[in-house]
Formats: sequence, C-alpha cells, structure tokens
Amino acid sequence: MEQNLQYFLIPFLNWEMMLLIWVGVFAGIWVGAIPGLSVTMAASLLISFTFSWDINSALALICGVFVGGVYGGSITAILLNIPGAPAAIATGIEGYPLAQRGEAGKAIGLCTTVSVFASFVGIIVLAVAAPVIANFSLKFAPRDFFLLAVMGILLIGSIGGGDPVKGITAGAIGILISMVGMDPSTGEMRYTFGNIYLMAGISFVTAMIGLFGVSEALTQFRQAGLKSPKQNLDRIIPSWATFVKYLPLSIRSSLLGVFIGALPGTGGDVAALLAYDQAKRSVRNPSRPFGTGAYEGIVAPETANKGAIGGAFIPMLTLGIPGDAVTAIIIGALYIHGLKPGPMLMIETPHLFWMIVSCLSISSIALLVLGLISVKPFAKIIEIPKEIIMPVVIILSVIGTYAIQNSVVDIFYMIGFGIIGYFMRLYGYATGPMVLGLILGPMLDANYRRTMQGAEDQFLPFLQGFVTSPISLFLTLAIVFLVFSQTAVYRRWRGIQ
Amino acid sequence: MEEPKGMAGNGPAQGTSLPAKDISKYVPETRRKPGELGIALVAFLIGALGYYFALGMTSGKFSSPSVFPKLASALIMALSAFNFVKALHRDKPEESSSLGRYLFPADVVVILLLLVAYCVVLPRLHFIASSYLFMVLAMVYLQRGKKILRAVLVSALALAVLVAVFRYLFLVILP
Repeated sequence: MEQNLQYFLIPFLNWEMMLLIWVGVFAGIWVGAIPGLSVTMAASLLISFTFSWDINSALALICGVFVGGVYGGSITAILLNIPGAPAAIATGIEGYPLAQRGEAGKAIGLCTTVSVFASFVGIIVLAVAAPVIANFSLKFAPRDFFLLAVMGILLIGSIGGGDPVKGITAGAIGILISMVGMDPSTGEMRYTFGNIYLMAGISFVTAMIGLFGVSEALTQFRQAGLKSPKQNLDRIIPSWATFVKYLPLSIRSSLLGVFIGALPGTGGDVAALLAYDQAKRSVRNPSRPFGTGAYEGIVAPETANKGAIGGAFIPMLTLGIPGDAVTAIIIGALYIHGLKPGPMLMIETPHLFWMIVSCLSISSIALLVLGLISVKPFAKIIEIPKEIIMPVVIILSVIGTYAIQNSVVDIFYMIGFGIIGYFMRLYGYATGPMVLGLILGPMLDANYRRTMQGAEDQFLPFLQGFVTSPISLFLTLAIVFLVFSQTAVYRRWRGIQ
Repeated sequence: MEEPKGMAGNGPAQGTSLPAKDISKYVPETRRKPGELGIALVAFLIGALGYYFALGMTSGKFSSPSVFPKLASALIMALSAFNFVKALHRDKPEESSSLGRYLFPADVVVILLLLVAYCVVLPRLHFIASSYLFMVLAMVYLQRGKKILRAVLVSALALAVLVAVFRYLFLVILP
C-alpha cells in the first residue's frame, strides 16, 4: 500500500511531468474543440515525437491531452452547435439553446465542474475496482454488443427532434451509408460501384463535421442581419447548491460512463448519448424542458464521457485490451518503450498503473483550473459577428476533415453532407440520428452477424441466446423497459412531462 | 421571409429572453413546406436504390452481408412513404412561397457557389490561397461590400493563426 502511494506521488513530485500534464490538458482542450481533430489523432502524433522520451513523461503528456481533449469537444457544441467530437453531440442538444439565451458562460462553467467530478469518479473506480470490472467486461459476447447498439438506436427518440418518424428515417439512412465500403468480415464490397474512394467507407467524423458544421453555417446564413446574443458572464462557476442538486445525476451518469468506457470498442460517444437519454427519461422536473436548454442535459453526457476516460483504462491496464482508440494507442506506446501490456502488467510494473492514475488525477485538477479560466474567452467567440465567424468555421471544418486521413475527397464528402444536412434541417429531419446511424451501423451489422454465425444461422438458437445468458437477458429487459418508457402510459405514471 | 418552424439551430435570438429552438423541439405545422413531398420522395428513392443494389450482394443466409443493407433500405422506403402521406394530408404550402426561394435564399446560394468554387480550386491553388480567397469573398459578400479592409485583414489573421497552430504546432498536413 505504502509502495503504491509512493508510485502515485511520483508525478506530483516531478516538475517536468507536472508541466507536461498541464501543457497536455491545455493543448487537448483546443484539439478537442476543433471538429475532426480528435484526441486519437493527437495521441498518435504524440507517440511519434515522444518516441525518444522517458515513458513517464510520454504518458504524462498523453494523459493530459486525453482529459483535455474529451472536455474540449463540448465547447464548440455549446457555443456553435458544432460538436468537436462525437462524444459531444448530446451536449450540443441542450448547450446550444443555452448559448442562444446568453447563458454560454454558465453552461460551460457547469460543464467544467461536473466534468472534473466525473473524471475523478472514473479514476477512483479505476484505482479501486479495475480487475473486477475488466473481468466482467470480458464476459460481453457479440450478442451483448448487438443489444448495446440496439439500445443506442433507441436514442433516436431522444435526439430525433420531436418527429420520431423523420428521426428514424434519418437514422436508417445513416445505417445505410455506414454499410458503404468493404465488409470487414467477408471482404465483399457493398455500395462501392467500383470506386476506389468508397472502398474504405465513409468516415462518420467526416459526416458529423458536414452535418453539424457546414449545415449549421448554411442555416445561419438564412438569417443574415440577426445580431449574436450578448453573453452573461457574471457567474460562471456554479454554486455549491447547484453542484449538489446535480450530484445524484452526476454520479449515475459517470458510473454509466465508466462502465461503457470499460467495454472494449465502445467509448465516450455511446456513453454520453445513453446518459443523455437516461436523464431525459428519469429527471422529473428539469431546469427547462429538454431540448430548450435543460442543464441536466449537459450534466448527464458530460459526466458520462469523462467517466469513460477512467473506464477505458480499466481493460487496458488490467488485461492489455484497449477500452477505446486512445488507449489502443497508449498500448502501442508501452510496446515502443519495451513494456508488455497484458494481465501481467499490473504485477510486473505496478508503478505504471499508479502513475497513470496519478497523471489522470493531476489532469483533472488542471482541467478545473484551465477550463474555468477559458470560459470567458470561449464565450466571447459566440459574440463575434456571424459574417466573420461562419467562413472561419467552414475553413476549420475543412482542416478537421482533411486531417482525418489527408484526403481531399473527404472534404468533398464533408461539404456534400453539409448540403444534405441543410436540406434535412429545413424539413425537420434532425441530423443527430443520421450520425448515430453512421456510428452504430457497423456495430449492429458486425455483432448481429457474429451472433447469427454462432447460432449456425438458425433463427431459434439466435433468439434463445437473448434469454439464456444473464448479461443478454439483462440488456434485453433494459431494451424492453426503454421502449416501454417511451409510451404515454409510463410517462403519465411517472409524472414526467 | 418566414422561417420554418422546428428547424435546428434557428439562428441567434436577439437579446436573451427569446427561447431558442433546436432539433429537440419540433413544432408540427399545419401547412406543409414547399418541397416537403419532394424530400420524402427523394428519401424513398434512396431506400429503393439501396435495396436494388443490395440484391446484388451475397444473400441466402441470416448472416449474409446483404441483411442489414436490405433491412435499412426497406425501413427507409416504409418510413418515407409514411412521411409522404403525412405531408400530403396537411394543407398546401402558401401560394407566395416558391420552392426556389425557400430552399435557396440569396446568401445560401452565394455561399454554396463559393464552396463549389473552393472545391474546384483547392487541388490547384492548395489550402492557403484558396482558403484565403474563400474567407475574403465570403466576408465581403456577407458584409454587403462594406468593411472590405476588415475582411482582408481578419481573413489574413485567421489564416495565419490556423496555419501556425495546425501546421506547425499540431503538425497537421494541410491540403
């Protein structure tokens, strides 16, 4: 125990690591805020130039960027309705109306404080219960991931923009677009028409930047001459009472985030959407109706995606299986530095485990300070006249899209999605479900087919699996509940508006 | 021009008291919008084409690669048909609102043309020159030809910051 504490204190006593963490968080906030520039990309870049560094310093910088980056994604979602990353889509649903009311400062302030809280929840769970959760997450079969994806698809009801049929239509088109490219399990080409660019599929980040960024800019140009709202920046740090008011929701959503984050292949994006949906169903008296700027709708996704950071490290540090793309890159970094990630990592190099816990803790403290300092300058961005900011947003979207895989074709796709998104918005088809379809389509397809192959292509054994495995049964019942909770009977019974 | 209800990101409100609209708050309308039947037809066509091309994929088993494309396409067709019929039951659009004006107000047309021009010149002029031209022209147009010097300077400054941060700090390759 004493030994572990010593390992934990290493980064606190090493000024170089401390500095790198703070620099990492600062850079992460900005990287995260730009749509298309992802934490994954930043982490992979860092691997290349920290190659010759000491492993401790490299990990310190990467942890800082990870925490800062996940937070940064929400800033542009709140200010401009353009999520910096898929994990921030849900935040924009409530955050943007708040910015339009002049409450961007308060929204970002709340987002910062609950984010730091959730980040610590993730770290504590990582420190205390990592092996238990890791072993449990390994019990998830393809069928369970399929059920998780079905749960995700049910979120369309929450982010579908009031007309559920149009929301589901958009979601189904998203799933269809996600099928474009080479089928990962058989190598068969689907909807590629012999085009080499279509073989790799259409990146959902490209689609997200177009559907949110460019279409938002085009929609804004319909209202030329309208002044941007003046932001009230008097009280940006939420009061203790406000924090306590949202504490139960914060704890619930961060724990959900930790768990979803710990599942290999799912991360902050799915966690944030599930938490938003869960809040929408369970909060009886939101600060405002959901969709018009409910603070609960910021707290839930923000705590979930920060909790998912600690969660993603759980399978990585205990089993050598990455919880998400960033931890996959960190595993690469460990190999480069001569370490062998896997079940023996915690036994052979316990200092590494405790140092990562410590780096994440310092990153969270840095996030609190740097996040709150940045609230005012960030909120000022929204007051810049639209005729200046929107052309810059379009160019930022171009950089973000090109950065994904250095392809000019992606820029054309992005602009195409921007135009599609503009038409969708005009006719009340929300763009969120389409992105959701693009994210979850491959997960649905791959896991459904794996499960079906496991059942030897027989429908009855396929269905039996849903009730014979305890995890699948639990998830199936959760889906039944999710569907039931969307009915008027349930809402009347619970007294939800 | 009258703004459509239920549109996402309905523009900034003046002052702070106006309620904001977003995708979560959809207000059903009694009148259908110009072109609403058309968009339902386009969605149906996407589903029909999706299904048609899925017929060429390997099929025959429950786990075939064509299962999800077919399911998604069939769902799109069914839902678009529903959306079409629902829109048909609403009142016709106002006589005065033409489809062209509704879809493409002047500002949107100009920005779209600039975007197309940007796509054309980007591979030739590369990122810095084409982005600078796009920003200057867009800003000058949106400011209705006024404050040209501001547009020129702000674009140059914005581009300098973007290039410095992305190219030299984050080492992102620019087109």
